[in-house]
Amino acid sequence: MDARTIALDARHGDVLLVVIRGEHDIYTAPKLRDQLDEALGQRPVGLVADLSGSTFLDSSILGALLEARRQALESGVNFVVNLGEEPEAGVQRILEITGLVPVFPVVRSAGEALESARAAPADA
Amino acid sequence: MDAPVVRLDLPARPEGVGVVRQALVGVADGLALDGTVLSDAKMAVTEACTNAVVHAYEPGHDGRLEVDMFADDAALTVVVRDAGIGMQPREDGQDTHAPTAALGLGLPLIAALSDEFEVRGGPGDGTEVSMAFNYERAADPAAENPITGGPGPSGRWTLDEPDPAG
Repeated sequence: MDARTIALDARHGDVLLVVIRGEHDIYTAPKLRDQLDEALGQRPVGLVADLSGSTFLDSSILGALLEARRQALESGVNFVVNLGEEPEAGVQRILEITGLVPVFPVVRSAGEALESARAAPADA
Repeated sequence: MDAPVVRLDLPARPEGVGVVRQALVGVADGLALDGTVLSDAKMAVTEACTNAVVHAYEPGHDGRLEVDMFADDAALTVVVRDAGIGMQPREDGQDTHAPTAALGLGLPLIAALSDEFEVRGGPGDGTEVSMAFNYERAADPAAENPITGGPGPSGRWTLDEPDPAG
């Protein structure tokens, strides 16, 4: 079984990454919410939710990510989800069938995620 | 239907949902289930168990989560049951026990990811969600039961109103 981890990666200057690996559901959703809250509390320019190492996520996790996106938009923080170049099929499927790919938005590489997270907000 | 190949009875707590998923993967190992169908089944069964854990019982009261898995020649059927107070909305229109954190996407996801599903139960009777996953699919259920709408301002998912012409 994959290790379930949620970790903050602060090695990218003014962009923070919350890296979500393994299987996640209602059991780990509170931890993810706390980690996303903590990251937003540091007022970064951008916040990346990195799902490239995620093997499963459910609607509890989507709810946590959508709440973080809402808070980020309110406080002028760029928010982006990185699915990676070789995402797990089930992770890609839940994002696609819910229509959330353009909403978050979802990108497909770490480089693209950092670039998007550093870009000036659309309303600036 | 024949006796279940697996019957689980566990506390309706968040940590139990992953246990059900592991059992499902184990059952699928012995069946001709392709990867996409298994992936959809994991998601749909997770959502049904999550509904039971979140909605079914009064806060602070430990209820049970029961899961039966049946396999026949054509499909794997998973039945998720709780003895809770049900998911019916209150008379004032507020969802009974959904924490503000709940997104409300569980049933739309179950509809989009299973080849057949049925929800049974009423206030005080508990809720039973039965889902079938065909080994070979004629069509993608997500195309037949697409998820509409998007995240609403309250944080809950807002489904599009059905098209009256359709």
